[in-house]
Amino acid sequence: MNYEHCIRCTICVENCPVFRVNPDFPGPKQAGPDAQRFRSEKEKAQDEWVFLCSQCKRCEMACPCGVEPAQIILREQQRYGKEHPQTATHLLFANNYYLSALGSLTAPLANKFASSETGKNILRKIGISTYIPFPKFSFRAMRQGKKNLNKGTKKVAFFYGCFINFYRPDIGRKIVRLLAAMNVDVVLPPQWCCGLPALGNGNLALAKYFAQKNASSLSDYIDAGYDIVYACTSCGLCILHDYPGIMEIPQGKKIAESSYNLHEYIIKLINEGYAKPEFGKVRRKIAYHIPCHLRALKIGYPAQKLMATIPGLECEIFDDTCCGLSGSYGFKENNEFTAIQIGNRAVSLIKKTGAKNIVADCGSCRMQLEGLSGITALDPAEILCESLNITNQK
Amino acid sequence: MSVTEYDVVIIGAGVAGLTTGALLAERGFNVALVTTGEPTACLSTGCVDVCSCDENPLTGIKNLPPEHPFHLVDEKTIRQSLNYFQTVMMDMGMPYAGSIEKNRSVVSALGTFKTSCLVPSTMEAAPQNNTDSIHIVTFKGIKDFYPGYIVSRRKNTNFSVFDAGVYSIMSIASRFEDKNFFERFIIWMDKLHIDEDKIALPAVAGLESASEIVNSIAVLMGKPVFEIPTIPPSMPGRRLFDALKKYFRKKGGAIYWAWPVVGTEKTGKLIEAVTTHSEGRPNSINARAFILGTGSFVGGGLTATRQDIMENVFNLPVHISGPRETWFDNDYFSLNHGIGRAGIIVDSSMRPADSPWNNIFLCGGILAETEILKNGCGHGLALATAHAAAQSCAEYLSHEL
Repeated sequence: MNYEHCIRCTICVENCPVFRVNPDFPGPKQAGPDAQRFRSEKEKAQDEWVFLCSQCKRCEMACPCGVEPAQIILREQQRYGKEHPQTATHLLFANNYYLSALGSLTAPLANKFASSETGKNILRKIGISTYIPFPKFSFRAMRQGKKNLNKGTKKVAFFYGCFINFYRPDIGRKIVRLLAAMNVDVVLPPQWCCGLPALGNGNLALAKYFAQKNASSLSDYIDAGYDIVYACTSCGLCILHDYPGIMEIPQGKKIAESSYNLHEYIIKLINEGYAKPEFGKVRRKIAYHIPCHLRALKIGYPAQKLMATIPGLECEIFDDTCCGLSGSYGFKENNEFTAIQIGNRAVSLIKKTGAKNIVADCGSCRMQLEGLSGITALDPAEILCESLNITNQK
Repeated sequence: MSVTEYDVVIIGAGVAGLTTGALLAERGFNVALVTTGEPTACLSTGCVDVCSCDENPLTGIKNLPPEHPFHLVDEKTIRQSLNYFQTVMMDMGMPYAGSIEKNRSVVSALGTFKTSCLVPSTMEAAPQNNTDSIHIVTFKGIKDFYPGYIVSRRKNTNFSVFDAGVYSIMSIASRFEDKNFFERFIIWMDKLHIDEDKIALPAVAGLESASEIVNSIAVLMGKPVFEIPTIPPSMPGRRLFDALKKYFRKKGGAIYWAWPVVGTEKTGKLIEAVTTHSEGRPNSINARAFILGTGSFVGGGLTATRQDIMENVFNLPVHISGPRETWFDNDYFSLNHGIGRAGIIVDSSMRPADSPWNNIFLCGGILAETEILKNGCGHGLALATAHAAAQSCAEYLSHEL
C-alpha cells in the first residue's frame, strides 16, 4: 500500500464530507495512512470507527501524492468485519440484494410496511433510519435474458444494478430503449448485486461471492462480442475498481477494459459515427449533482457532455458536494445526523440555482437529494430520453 | 481508449493553471484542465506574494537577477495580471486588498510579520507594526494554532478561548457558516468586553463566506478584526483555490480530477495528446496546445533522484544549479538552497527552451531560477507568467487556424 507516500498535507481532510460534520471521525489522513503505520496483521483490528467512513473516495480524488486513504480504510473495514461479529444492520444491508428481491416480489405489502408508522418504528428499532422515505419497491423488475434486437453491429450487455431493478425498472426500460435508438442490440445478462453494499458493510466474503457470479456471467458476454454498459456509477466503480482490486476477481481486468458508463458509451458511438442522435429541445434549468463515484471513475462527466448538446437545457454542475447517503451508509441510525448534515449542504447550494430538476447518475444520490429538497430528481438518461422523445409507452 | 478533444489542455490546478485556463476560456477557446490532485495553493496562506525583497514589489522585481523568469513579463502585464486577479476574486465574493506599488504585512501564527502584496480582505486589518494592541480569540482544543507564540513576541496582546464544540480547523470553519453558531460566538465575544485596539482570529472564519463573516464580527464588535493564517489545513488557501476553480468553471472550463498524465502522443514538433490513467481504459485527451503549470517539487512538476532532476509530464530538460553538492546549503533554514533554482528554462514566448515542442507553454513554479522562498514571489509570479503564457498560447492558436 502507498501510505508511505503521504506528506501529511491534510488536503484529503479538507475534502472529507464526514469529517466536516462528525467530530467522531478522525478524518481520512488519520484513519488512513496515519493509523495504517500502527496496524499489524498479527493484531486484531481495533478501529470500529473506520465504518464512519462513507467511502465517497473524495480524499483519493484530492490527494496530490497518489495515496488512497479510502482504499486503506476499505481494507481495514474488511479486516474489522471479518474479525468481529456482524451487527444486524450490517448484515441486513450487506444482503440488500436478497432483501430487495423479497421486497420487489411482495411490493404492495413491503411498500405499505415501509411507509407505515409501525413499519418505520420497527425499522428504527433495528437501527435503520427513516428521515427520507424508504425507496418504493417495484412489482415488475427487469427481466433477465430479454433481448432487444436491432440488427445493429454493436452489442451491449446492460448491467442495470439493484436500484434500477428493484425500485425503478421504468428507468431501466428507458435506457434499453435509448440504447436501441442508437441502433445497438441490448441484452440483459444474468446478474446479481455488484457487491458494493457487502463491501461497505465489511463483508468481503459475500462481496466476492456476488462479484464472482457477475464476473462469470459478464465475461461470457464479452467473449461473445458484447460491451458491458452500466448506468449506476457506484456499480460501475465497484466493477471497474474493486473487482480487479480488493476482490481479486480473475476476470476483473478483462471486464474493466470492456465496461462503459452509459453516457460514455453513447459518446463513443457518436464519435465513431455509429449513431447520430438528434437531440430535441428540453426547456429547463437543471442542477447536475455529480455522484462522488462518477468522479472516482476518472472518466470525466460524460452525461454532462451529452446534455450540453440539448438545446434549451441549462445545466449547472455540482461536483464539490456529496449527497451524504452513500448507499446504505446514511440508512444506519448512527450515521443519520452525518448524512443529513452533508445532504443539507448540497441541497442548500442546489436550491440557490432555482433549478427545476436535480439530475444525478446515482439512484441513492437522487433518493437523498429529492427526499431532503422536495425537488424531483432525475437520471440523466431520463433527460436524454425526453430530448429524443423516447417513452415507455408503446 | 476514450478520446476527447480540446483547444487547450492545462496540466495543473494551481494559481498558474487555473488563471491561464480562465484567460483562454474567456477568449473563446475550449479548455480542459487535468490534475493529479488538489494544488499546493490549498496549503498556502492565500496571500499573493509578488516580490518581498523590497518595499515596492516592482522595484524588487527590477533588482532580481537577470535570469529570473519575472523579467520575461513586462511591467504592464504584471500590473494587469494583479488587477485581473483582484477583479476575479471580487467577483467570487472573496475580495483582496493591497496594491502593486507597496508591500504590506500579515501577522503570522508565530507572531512574526510576513511580507506580502495582495492579501485576503480578512487579513486587511492586520497591524503593520508593533504599536496596536491585539486581543486574540482562539478555540478550545485546536491543535494547529497557539496564541502563546504571538503573546510572547508582542506587547499589549491578550487572548481568550472559545469552546466551539469541535476541535479541528476544518470543522470550526464549517460551523462559522451556521447562523446559530455565529450568534452564540458573538454573544460570548460581547461578554469579554475587549479593550484592545484590534481582534485577531486564527483563519477559521468560514469557508465560502469568510469575508462577510469577518466583516460582520468587526461591525458587531465595533473594532477591526483580522485573521491569522495557520499551518495546513489553511482555510485562506482553500478559499483561494475554490474561488479560482469556480471562476474557471464559470468561464466554461472543464476540470478532470485525479487524472495524472501517464503518457504523451507526439508528431514532429507537436504534442498531440496526453494520456491519463482511468479505471478500465486510459483516457486520451487531444489538444492543439498544452499549458504546463505543475509547479516544482511539492506541486509534483519535478522529481529529484540521487543524480538528476526530472520533469514529470513531457520530460523537458531541467535546469539545475550544478552537481548535487550545489543543491543544498549547510543550513536547513537557508534561503539559498540551489535546488530552489531548478526548473525549466523558457524563451520569451514561454515555450521550453532547448526542446523541440512548439505547442507547450509554461507558467508558475515549474520555471527555472524562481527561488520562490528567497524572493517571496509565489502566487505573484504564477499570475504574471500565467498571463504571459495565455497570451502566447492564444497567439499561437489564432495563428494556427
